[in-house]
Amino acid sequence: MTKKESKAAKLDAEGISLKSVSLWQITWRRLFRRKSAIIGMVILGILVLIALTAQWIAPYDPFQVLIGIEPVKQRQAPCIHLLGCPEDQPEHIMGIDGNVRDQFSRLLYGTRLSLVIGLSTVSFAIVIGTVLGALSGYFGGWVDTVIMRVMDVLLAFPSLLLAIAIVTVLGPGLVNALLAIGIVSIPSYARVVRSSVITVREMDFVSATRAMGGNSYEILFKRILPNALTPLIVQGTLGIATAILDAAALSFLGLGAQPPTPEWGSMLGSERNQVFTAPHLVFYPGLAIMLTVLSFNLLGDGLRDALDPRLAHTSG
Amino acid sequence: MKHKILNYLVVCFLLGGLLLTACKPTTPEPEVIPTDVPMAEEFVGYTLAAANCDYGGFFESIVATDKYTVTFNLCKSDPAFLSKMAFVPFAIYPEEWIVSTAGEETRTSEGLEHPIGTGPYMVSEWARGESVTFVANPNYWGEAPKAETLVLRWSTESAARLLELQSGTIDGYDNVGPDDFAVITADNNLQITYRPALNIFYVGMTNTYAPFDNVKVRQAIAMGIDRQRIVDTFYPEGSEVASHFTPCAIPNACDGEAWYEFDPVAAKALLAEAGYPDGFETSLYYRDVVRGYLPQVSNVAQDIQAQLLANLNIKAEIVVMESGAFIEASASGQLNGFHLLGWGADYPHVTNFLDYHFGKDTQQFGVIDPSIHENITAGAQIADPAVAAPIYTAANNAIRELVPMIPIAHGGSAVAYKADVVNPQASPLTSELFAHTDPGGRDVFVFMQGAEPISMFCADETDGESLRACEQVMQGLYGYEINGTAVEPVLATSCVPNDDLTQYVCTLRQGVVFHDGSTFDANDVVMTFTMGLDASSPYHVANTNLWEYYDYLWGLMNK
Repeated sequence: MTKKESKAAKLDAEGISLKSVSLWQITWRRLFRRKSAIIGMVILGILVLIALTAQWIAPYDPFQVLIGIEPVKQRQAPCIHLLGCPEDQPEHIMGIDGNVRDQFSRLLYGTRLSLVIGLSTVSFAIVIGTVLGALSGYFGGWVDTVIMRVMDVLLAFPSLLLAIAIVTVLGPGLVNALLAIGIVSIPSYARVVRSSVITVREMDFVSATRAMGGNSYEILFKRILPNALTPLIVQGTLGIATAILDAAALSFLGLGAQPPTPEWGSMLGSERNQVFTAPHLVFYPGLAIMLTVLSFNLLGDGLRDALDPRLAHTSG
Repeated sequence: MKHKILNYLVVCFLLGGLLLTACKPTTPEPEVIPTDVPMAEEFVGYTLAAANCDYGGFFESIVATDKYTVTFNLCKSDPAFLSKMAFVPFAIYPEEWIVSTAGEETRTSEGLEHPIGTGPYMVSEWARGESVTFVANPNYWGEAPKAETLVLRWSTESAARLLELQSGTIDGYDNVGPDDFAVITADNNLQITYRPALNIFYVGMTNTYAPFDNVKVRQAIAMGIDRQRIVDTFYPEGSEVASHFTPCAIPNACDGEAWYEFDPVAAKALLAEAGYPDGFETSLYYRDVVRGYLPQVSNVAQDIQAQLLANLNIKAEIVVMESGAFIEASASGQLNGFHLLGWGADYPHVTNFLDYHFGKDTQQFGVIDPSIHENITAGAQIADPAVAAPIYTAANNAIRELVPMIPIAHGGSAVAYKADVVNPQASPLTSELFAHTDPGGRDVFVFMQGAEPISMFCADETDGESLRACEQVMQGLYGYEINGTAVEPVLATSCVPNDDLTQYVCTLRQGVVFHDGSTFDANDVVMTFTMGLDASSPYHVANTNLWEYYDYLWGLMNK
C-alpha cells in the first residue's frame, strides 16, 4: 500500500477523516453537509427557541379575552403597523381568533405544546418499544412470538383509527390523546429494536461477553442495545413528526386538547368553517403544523443518511 | 327468468283484452237514470275515545259528529289547543291511505318519501343525498303556488350555502352564517329576511349536585356572567339578551321581573357568602351542534368558561359530549356541572317553554320547586293571557329567584334570498310556506336548508328540516300565518271552544281533495289522530314508532 492509498483509505466517501473521531462526530459532520438537514435543524432551532421563550415574546396572554380591553372584533383580520395598519389600532400580526384572543400569542404557546407532545409520545413509545423489542430479539422463542404477534395486531390497524378508538375508550383530552398516540407507535420501535438486536447478538463481541460470563442483563443492556441504537434514533426523529401530526388530527376532531388550550390542531378545527371569512385563523395554525412536521422530517432524513454505515463506503 | 314471466303476462293481458272485446254483449247497457232525490250517502262517523282520563293525556274523545264536523273532547282545558293543532306533525292523512298502509311496508318506505296530504305541493322525486323536488298540486283547494316546481336542497356549511346563492344556483337559503350577514347586506343582488328569535339558550345547573344545591351559588353565577357580551360577540343581528326564559314575543312570557343585571362584585360577594370565596372546580358540558339558539357553540362555551374564571374564580373544564348522550344525560339530571342547551318553539305558547323544562317531573335541573311547577300547571289551564298574567308573574319570579338555569340569549337567525324574490319568508317557527313566495317569475324555486330531511312521514318526526319539507305538502286543521305565529284555519273553517276550553267543535272545509284523489272529511281527521294517538291501534305504525310530538303534546292512549 502506497502512502497515497493509505491516506485515501482513512477518508470516507464524503472525504471526512476517520482518524480518531467517534461515530457521533462523523455523524454530526455528515449531517452538516446536507442542506435539507440544516434547514430542518434551523427551523427546529427556531421552534425550540420560541417554545422556551414563549412567555416573553408573546405580546398577550394566550387565554386573555380582549373584549372590553381593546377595540377589536371577533375574527378580526391581522393588523400589522409596518404594512399600513393604522397606528391607532392595536397590533395583532396574526389577527384575532373566534373568542377575541390574540392569535399570534396562542400560536407561540402552541409551539411549546406541540414539541412537548412530539417528544413525550415518542419517548414513551421508544421506552416501551425498546424494552419489548430487545426482549423479543434477545430471547427469541415464545417470548418473541407472543410480543411480536401483539405488535402485529397493533400494526394491523391504521394508526390514527386505532388512536381514535383508544381515545374514545379513555375519553377525550390531551393526556389521553398522547397516551393513545404513544401506544400506537410502540410496534414500529419494537420491530426496529428487535431486528437490530437479532443482528448484534450474533456478533463476536457479544459472544465474547457471554464467554466471559456476562449475564443476560449485562449483555442485553450494556453490550447489545448501545450498538443497536442507530436506527432507533432515525425512527424516533421521524416519529416525532408523525406524533405531532396525529395529535393535531385528534385535536382537530375534538378528541385531543380541549378548549381553551392553544393547540394548533384544535385551533384549526374550531375555525374550519371560517376558511372563507377569516382565512388567517386556519392558515397560520396549518402553516405552523406544516413547518414543525417538515423540520422533523428533514432532520430525520438527514440523520438516516448520516448514520447509514453503507454511506461510509460508497460515493453517493 | 323475470323477463319471460313478464312477457307471458303481457301476452295474457292482450289476449284477455281481445276476448273481452269479442264477447261484448250486443244489447245496449241500461242507462243510469238519475233520480229526483239524490241517494243520500249515509255518513258513519268514527270515534276515538279513551277509556277514561286517567292515562294523563289531553283527549277524552275525538268524534266525527257529521261529515264535516269533528268534536274534540278534552280531559283538561287547553288554551294552546289551536296552536298545537297548527303544528305540522298533526297534519291530516286520508283515511284510505292510513287503512291501506297499516301493517305494510308502504308506510315506512313510500310513505316516508311521498306523503299524501292536501297541500299546494306534491312530492315528485326525492333523490336521496341530493334534493327533493315538489310539483304544484293541480287539485289544490286554495291559491295555486307561485312557482310550478319547488326544489329543496341542503348543505351543512353556511359558507357553501352562501356560495350557491351568490352563484345563482339557488333562490334562497336558511340560517345565514353569523359572519355572512354583512356580505349579503352589501350585495345588491341579494336580500335578507330576519327571523324573530323564538328560542332560548341557557346555562343549566342540576341542583342535586354540590355546590349547585346551594341557591346562593346559583344566584351568584346568574349575576357573574356578562350575557350582553356573549350576545354582542357571538350572536348574529336580531338576537337579544334573554330577560326571561321564554321569548317575549309569546304572551305571558315576560311577566315578572327581568333577569339579574351583570354585577361581578356582588356575584363574588354572594359566592363567598355561600362558602366559596375562592371559587370551585367543575365541568362545563355541551354538544358541538349548531342551532339557531347557539350559532357558535365552542366559542360561547369558551367565553362562559373564561367569564366564570375571571369573574367568580370558578374553574370549569370543558367536556364536549356526543349529541344523543348529552341530551339523555342532561334530561335525566346526570350532569354534575354546567350544561349548555337551548330550546326552539314548537308552537308559540308559553307552555311549550315552561311546562317542558320546569314541570313537576322534569329532572334536568334536579328537583323543581313547587313555587315554580305549581304556578305553571295552574297557568296552563287558563286561556286568557290577562287572567294568567299574575300566575306567570309568580312562576317567572320563582325561576329568577331559584335559578335552575341562566337564560342567556334568544338567538336570531335569517334567511337570504335573491333580490328579485317576492314575499321572502323567514318564519319564526321555521315553517316557511314556499307556495306563497314568487321566485322572481321563474318556474322553479330552489331553496337550500341545513340538512336533508330524515323522513317526510312527519306525524312521527321531530327534526326541523324534515318538518319544513312536510309543510309544503301536508296541512292540518289549522296552520300558522306567514312569517308569524298566529294561527289561522286551514282544513277547518273554524274550531269553536266551549267556555272552559274542554271541548272544541271544528267545522271542516268542504271540497278538499288529497293528492291521491280521495276526498277530505271528518273521518280522515279521526283516523289521523287514531293513527297517532292510539298505541293499541293497528294503524299506529311508523318510521321510529316513537310518535314523540303526539306523545309530548297530547299524550298517547293505551300505551
